[in-house]
Amino acid sequence: MTHAEDALEVEGVSKTYATVRAVDDLSFSVAPGEIFGLLGPNGAGKTTSIRMMLDIIKPDAGRISVLGGPMTEATKARIGYLPEERGLYEDMTLLETLLFLAQLKGLSRQTARERAESYLNEVELWDAHDLKIKALSRGMNQKAQFVAATMHEPDLIIVDEPFSGLDPVNTRIIKTLLYRMRDRGAAIIMSTHQMHQVEEMCQRILLIDHGRRVLYGPLADIRRQFASNAVEVDLRGELDQVPGVAHLAPRNGGYRLLLQDGVRPEQVLRTLVDLPDVTVERFERVATSLDEIFIQVVGRRPADEETTAV
Amino acid sequence: MRKIWLIAAATYRRQARSSRFLFLTFALPVIMVIAGAVPLLRAQGGAAAAVGYVDGTGQLALDAAAPADGGPALIAYADLAAAHAATARGEIAGYLAIPADYFEGAPVAYYGDEEPNFELQAALTARMRRALLPDRPDWALARLDDPSDVTYVARDTGDAVATGPAMVVRIVAPIALAIVFAIVVMTGAGQMGSAMALEKERRSMEMIITSLAPRELVAGKVLGMTLLSATQVGVWAVGAGIAIALALAGAADPSAFSVPWNVLLWAVLLGAPGYFLYALLAAGLGMIAGDNQQAQQLASILGVIGLSPLWFTGLLINAIDGPLAVALTLFPLTAPIVALIRMALTEVPTWQLVAALVAIILALLGSVWLVGRVFRAGMLMYGQRLRPRQIVRALRDA
Repeated sequence: MTHAEDALEVEGVSKTYATVRAVDDLSFSVAPGEIFGLLGPNGAGKTTSIRMMLDIIKPDAGRISVLGGPMTEATKARIGYLPEERGLYEDMTLLETLLFLAQLKGLSRQTARERAESYLNEVELWDAHDLKIKALSRGMNQKAQFVAATMHEPDLIIVDEPFSGLDPVNTRIIKTLLYRMRDRGAAIIMSTHQMHQVEEMCQRILLIDHGRRVLYGPLADIRRQFASNAVEVDLRGELDQVPGVAHLAPRNGGYRLLLQDGVRPEQVLRTLVDLPDVTVERFERVATSLDEIFIQVVGRRPADEETTAV
Repeated sequence: MRKIWLIAAATYRRQARSSRFLFLTFALPVIMVIAGAVPLLRAQGGAAAAVGYVDGTGQLALDAAAPADGGPALIAYADLAAAHAATARGEIAGYLAIPADYFEGAPVAYYGDEEPNFELQAALTARMRRALLPDRPDWALARLDDPSDVTYVARDTGDAVATGPAMVVRIVAPIALAIVFAIVVMTGAGQMGSAMALEKERRSMEMIITSLAPRELVAGKVLGMTLLSATQVGVWAVGAGIAIALALAGAADPSAFSVPWNVLLWAVLLGAPGYFLYALLAAGLGMIAGDNQQAQQLASILGVIGLSPLWFTGLLINAIDGPLAVALTLFPLTAPIVALIRMALTEVPTWQLVAALVAIILALLGSVWLVGRVFRAGMLMYGQRLRPRQIVRALRDA
């Protein structure tokens, strides 16, 4: 991918507040048509990074290119932002709010109204369009804010905890909308602590800690990099000791086997198949979850290392 | 410009629907109109009730000395007991007891169930005057009620200042405009800080600011609040106009009152940019404030500075062209009020008014720059309580 194709390009960006280096020499890029995970523990510098991307605050050093250049007023109309801290005008009705925000993004009143009706129907909120924002439940508010951030169909969407406060049904609705926006070619940056959502939705991730990039690249590569040397098996028969296995633990009617260093899973599979009185029904390499990777990487701070899986 | 209008319209709509705004805007004119209508309603309550009198001097024929404009009928009684009995029967509202030594200076007493109001007292005084001079022609008696309106004409400029209604307009108009400015600044511009702080507190600003430049947001808010203040002043002006018209109905000649165009011109020239200056500064303070409560505290400091000339009115009047008065005329935050107060009492040199206007405009331009910087600093201080050191740091980091 060349830089010209990037929806967002961040190069060597730093920001210091007094003596605290909130963001330190951060670089990454996001391409159109991808959902990009922006991860990090609390206070890692995610919000500061997002605010710099959105030109709310200026970086001390580095360069940020948004949709092909520096942020301009015209660029702002092509950006959608769902902040973590929700805030719509409580004394306005839902429809008034959406029309107001969409018009600020450059939509005509007529188009804004058509889009609002369509999106509200999609997120099952049209019946509430005349209610004041303060009368909406938390989940409704979350969906309303999502619609407000995306109904102008931006090319770059930044969503901070988009599923917060949503039940599984509403989570599915928002996911469907995000996938559709991605398929339309929008670049989506998703900041969340819900790792399972990142695993399901994101193609690439950036993990920052103490303002620095500690993990960056395709999610599949990163997971491979952190893959554990363990397998899970379901079988008929009993296991006692298996050559090449350092530790063996019963688990959910099967076993989890921790392999000795240098032993490959297929070697152990061959051994198991050859064992008398044992029939292998399932054999699966244990994938390390993003949750575990997150804890591993963030837990071994403040090492100055970075793992890049580009 | 479209975004500024969108922000202004949204600000206007939201604020105009608030019960606080509706109460402030409409309660005052309603009170004014009711107060103005009271004399008219009382006048329409029917002819004034008859009043009796007992003339101890035997020389004052009050009943025969009815002035051209009527007034209560006066009925003579031979003695106090007869007048008292008539009052008890409800035939008269009360009676005057004129003592025998009235000509030597003894006071007149009025006996009744209610204290005589202003109109009755005036009518009785006019009757007494006519009764004292029964052989004078009507024109002389009418002139005696209103011997002279003095018009002062300045020898050098030829400017004329009349007493009576014209003098009232000359003094009251600038002071009333100064008070209106003070109220509008407190209720409109002063609320800017709260509006910005609430925007921050409720986190709506973070989303809005990704759609427009900070200056557009601030400009839209200021414009919306200005339109709101204009609406408020407009409603008050209509209410005041109706109240004055009702109060003066039949009591004064409207042609005696002239519009003080010079005062109005300077009130607008100094008041409009002065209002924007307050609104901008309040917006900046609202951005720095950690929450709405703190924004109101900061706005009150601004209000104290703005209203300080009203507290020093005594000092200003004593030396209306003195150094303090001139300095406050040239200081942007006090210029509109002080200039108007001085215009009520003296001829303010034009150069001072022009200099005040220039000072306000320069301060306005400076505050546009400052508020832009404060805006970014405020975004860094999301949800934080105000501490001076933090503000300085945030301004530096912004």
